Amino acid sequence: MRHLYRALTVLGSHRAQRVMGVATLAGLVATVVIGLFVVPPDATQGDVQRLMYAHVPVAWVTFLAFGVVFIASVGYLKTGRIQWDRVAAASAEIGVLFCALTIVLGSLWGRPVWGTWWTWDPRLTTTAVLLLIYVGYLSLRKVADSPVRRARWAAVVGVVGFIDVPIVHESVVWWRSLHQQATVLRLGAPTIAGSMLATLMLGFVTFSLAYGYLMAVRLRVGRLEDRSAAPVSSLSAPRARRPRPAGVPAPAPADVPASVPAPALAPGDVPASAPADIPTSVPSDSHA
Amino acid sequence: MHDAGYVAAGYTLTLGTLAAYRWHLAVRARRARRYVTAVTGRARSGRRRR
Repeated sequence: MRHLYRALTVLGSHRAQRVMGVATLAGLVATVVIGLFVVPPDATQGDVQRLMYAHVPVAWVTFLAFGVVFIASVGYLKTGRIQWDRVAAASAEIGVLFCALTIVLGSLWGRPVWGTWWTWDPRLTTTAVLLLIYVGYLSLRKVADSPVRRARWAAVVGVVGFIDVPIVHESVVWWRSLHQQATVLRLGAPTIAGSMLATLMLGFVTFSLAYGYLMAVRLRVGRLEDRSAAPVSSLSAPRARRPRPAGVPAPAPADVPASVPAPALAPGDVPASAPADIPTSVPSDSHA
Repeated sequence: MHDAGYVAAGYTLTLGTLAAYRWHLAVRARRARRYVTAVTGRARSGRRRR
């Protein structure tokens, strides 16, 4: 747990962000060029199969993002550290984006191949449910009135909602589905040509990098937004001073001479500087 | 070649979504940073000044 959080902190450094940003951009260009112009078209599906070099890696990143939400939610429930909640919120937001993209890309592929934009197939339906769960997760974060309650509620949904991820993955095995079965993440060798598999792997690496990069940026934004949502007094408070070394007297206020000791007052006495309306003794019935 | 439109739409949408989200994060960061700076009177972006 601690190692994962440290890894995320390292990813959040500006240098790491810049490197990831450049690598993501280069990877995206390479994936698009190779996927569109280098790899041969599929024997049965033709050119439309090229959408798989984006659709499958984007779906993988969806699982990855929601997996991170699950781990961070467990981390928050275990430790109560708000940093875990920040990681979960960032990953859920990116996961929702990628999940929606997965559905849209699948729909664009389904229209020419299946002849329809949408069908209530088990894989499609469970993916839509997954999207709804995490949209609900983000909505829940908006309605909670205190940061601690928000983090606790969200962590519970982050843990419970993850149950749908293995269901989505196994839906093509458990139920009769129009969607094709797994070709890479399966027992045994992948059932795909070498050049296509290599391009798909490049897509996996590229979109994973994109996820890492967006996570790093989103975590920084989350820290800033938490700071801007904090009470103004905590924002403008001066930094705590260093503790005074032993034996060094505290500096006297400017309007009080340090050499004049204050006179000792007996009980009931009122200092000369006290306002006139202060009673000299407290009435005995005031405690009743 | 009829399918090229779907493929082009898919890749354009993917890259466009990633770029739009990155831009959205930049806007959010700028807004939060501006607020913090206005309240505290000093820039606290998390970015170290050299």
